[in-house]
Amino acid sequence: MSPTPGGAGAPRDRLKVLCRRAFSFLLDWMAWGYVAYCAMYLLNYYWYTVHVDWWGTLTLPSWGWPVVILVTLELAVWCRSLGRSLGQRAIGVALRPVAGERIRLGQRVLRGFLWHLSVLLAPVWIARGEEPLHDRLARVGLRTETPDPERPGRRAILTQWGFFALFLGALTMCVGWLIIGINLQVLIRRAPQAGRIWGEMLRPDFRYFTAPDPVFHLRALSYSILDLTVVTVFMALVATVLGGVMAFPLSFLGARNVMGFSPAGWATYGVIRGFFNVFRSIETIIWASIFAIWVGYGTVLAGILALTIHTIAALGKLYSEQVEGVSPGPLEAVWAAGGSRIQVVRHAVIPQVLPSFWAFTLYRWDINVRMATVIALVGGGGIGDMLFYYKNQGDWSKVGAVVMVIVAVVWAMDYISGRLRERIA
Amino acid sequence: MPTPYLVIDGLTKVYERGQVHALRGLSFSIEKGEFLVVIGLSGSGKSTLLRCINRLIEPTEGKIWLDGTDVARLSAKRMRRVRRRIGMIFQQFNLVDRATTVRNVLTGRLGYMPGWRSLLGLFSSQDKRTALANLERVGLRDKAYARVDELSGGQRQRVGIARALMQKPEILLADEPVSALDPATSHSIMQYLEQMNRQDGVTVIASLHFLSLARRYGTRIIALKDGQLVFDGPPKTIDNAKFKEIYGEDAEEVEVR
Ligand SMILES: Nc1ncnc2c1ncn2[C@@H]1O[C@H](COP(=O)(O)OP(=O)(O)OP(=O)(O)O)[C@@H](O)[C@H]1O
Ligand SMILES: [Mg+2]
Repeated sequence: MSPTPGGAGAPRDRLKVLCRRAFSFLLDWMAWGYVAYCAMYLLNYYWYTVHVDWWGTLTLPSWGWPVVILVTLELAVWCRSLGRSLGQRAIGVALRPVAGERIRLGQRVLRGFLWHLSVLLAPVWIARGEEPLHDRLARVGLRTETPDPERPGRRAILTQWGFFALFLGALTMCVGWLIIGINLQVLIRRAPQAGRIWGEMLRPDFRYFTAPDPVFHLRALSYSILDLTVVTVFMALVATVLGGVMAFPLSFLGARNVMGFSPAGWATYGVIRGFFNVFRSIETIIWASIFAIWVGYGTVLAGILALTIHTIAALGKLYSEQVEGVSPGPLEAVWAAGGSRIQVVRHAVIPQVLPSFWAFTLYRWDINVRMATVIALVGGGGIGDMLFYYKNQGDWSKVGAVVMVIVAVVWAMDYISGRLRERIA
Repeated sequence: MPTPYLVIDGLTKVYERGQVHALRGLSFSIEKGEFLVVIGLSGSGKSTLLRCINRLIEPTEGKIWLDGTDVARLSAKRMRRVRRRIGMIFQQFNLVDRATTVRNVLTGRLGYMPGWRSLLGLFSSQDKRTALANLERVGLRDKAYARVDELSGGQRQRVGIARALMQKPEILLADEPVSALDPATSHSIMQYLEQMNRQDGVTVIASLHFLSLARRYGTRIIALKDGQLVFDGPPKTIDNAKFKEIYGEDAEEVEVR
């Protein structure tokens, strides 16, 4: 992965080299940035929490951030020149001398200083397949690191890299512990209150299992536990079916092996995959709170829309990955017989992916049932409305009853979908 | 003077990835009804040549005249119509493993079907009868409703042949049709190809690894080396010197009986 002197290699390969070098540089910079951030956090913590009686405050002045950025940049540059670079290691390259066996320290220092002169133009040189100025004048170059078969590497933990990784890990744990600030004592101190609640929940009140509970109403109507359980299961079912039906055609548009033949195909692929990734990373509960405002707080519709949207994106992604994983042979055969793209999908792709599509859909139904029991928290409707109503009333026996029904339903759905998936596989 | 059936003229293929020159200005022509065998070392460009003829691979340069039309210049839509006339069978059979044999055979008909019918999978009863007849012809009538993953390698290749027959092809491309099969099965598969060639007058272009098979079934042999033509002539004229030239000095000829 090193730029070969003299401009050899295809333009695309040279661009790839540039991207990899830039990536490796950013990695070094970010690593030092992370260390700096952790250090500042620890300093801050010490200042405000341990030595509270110290004078003055600790705030970074307005010129502080640029300084931190520049200092970490320098650290990254010198690490890279002195041959202790995480980023170079990550992409499997290392600095090598143009002539001779070893790089002298002088060459490394020279490269470090020259870097500042040539950094802005370096991408141009690399993109043209030449060595950037700082490499050329210091008579070194980034070359692919080939492991020496004669000398197998020492156990990773013993090397400097192992210590560095250990250091980063320990730093992360320290800072993480302080950030979360856990206080385990409360678990013990508050045990009696919790014990009372557990006791009540374990004596569930099933009086309103089938009969509507007069104290609980939604829009002037009373419901029983069973009523809302059925509603919840159907919310999940409707959302899974709708989501699956819509994800199905989209998933082919989001698969490289079906779309990647023309610029328009690539564009479609990118848009669809982007849609999947963005919409999937917004959790169902967030969608539910959006739709609760849009179509009405506590309505079943809000819940179904939220579940459906997330199902489309999540199933779409899983489906398209399956499509991309089909064996290409049958596709080739249909193309060769004069088939069109749609025929290829219908007769070569779908027969290969259908069983796993079913398995994913059933699995998703399972997830949706579990999701549907809690989205009421943000106005998505379903059995959760009842659960949170009783919780707010402090009526823990009824909470216990609802929780038990939820457990039974989720367990049953899990079992059914698991058995069906077994049958398909 | 009638022009030959298939004329390859200066065919060049450069793979973008790695800048591999797989074919370097290849030129030759084939008459209707020939059984042409392409031989050459692994990586010499046999598959690339065959796949350029039906444009599963886009040629970089050169012309491919099939019956007077330059296939290399056709639009995707016109190309699909030409592909119907070109059957193809593959080294790895390229069947849908979890579908039935007859389903796989029917896909050979897709090029002739209107979009909506094929989308619903509504093959005509005429097509279904032809599919069963073609399976009969390759001796697999009783396996028509078995799943392909229950079949042996030789049986799978026969399904591949039946699928190609569905196209009623004028020309058949066979890319190492017997490389995954044992010698006895190889002969039975080659005999089906020979039968298509003799009885139905299908022009066959097959790439083979064994010279003995090439000699036995080909009416003409071409040899590729690094994407260039190093031999073109009747099977008998390949002597030991030619063989060494094609396969390198250290090669030994292996018989397939
Ligand atoms: N998709 C591809 N991308 C890049 N290079 C390729 C590709 N396919 C084939 N090649 C290269 O092109 C050359 C010719 O390959 P080809 O598959 O045509 O050879 P072949 O004669 O069929 O070999 P074999 O007998 O192993 O099947 C090889 O050097 C191969 O590495
Ligand atoms: Mg090949």
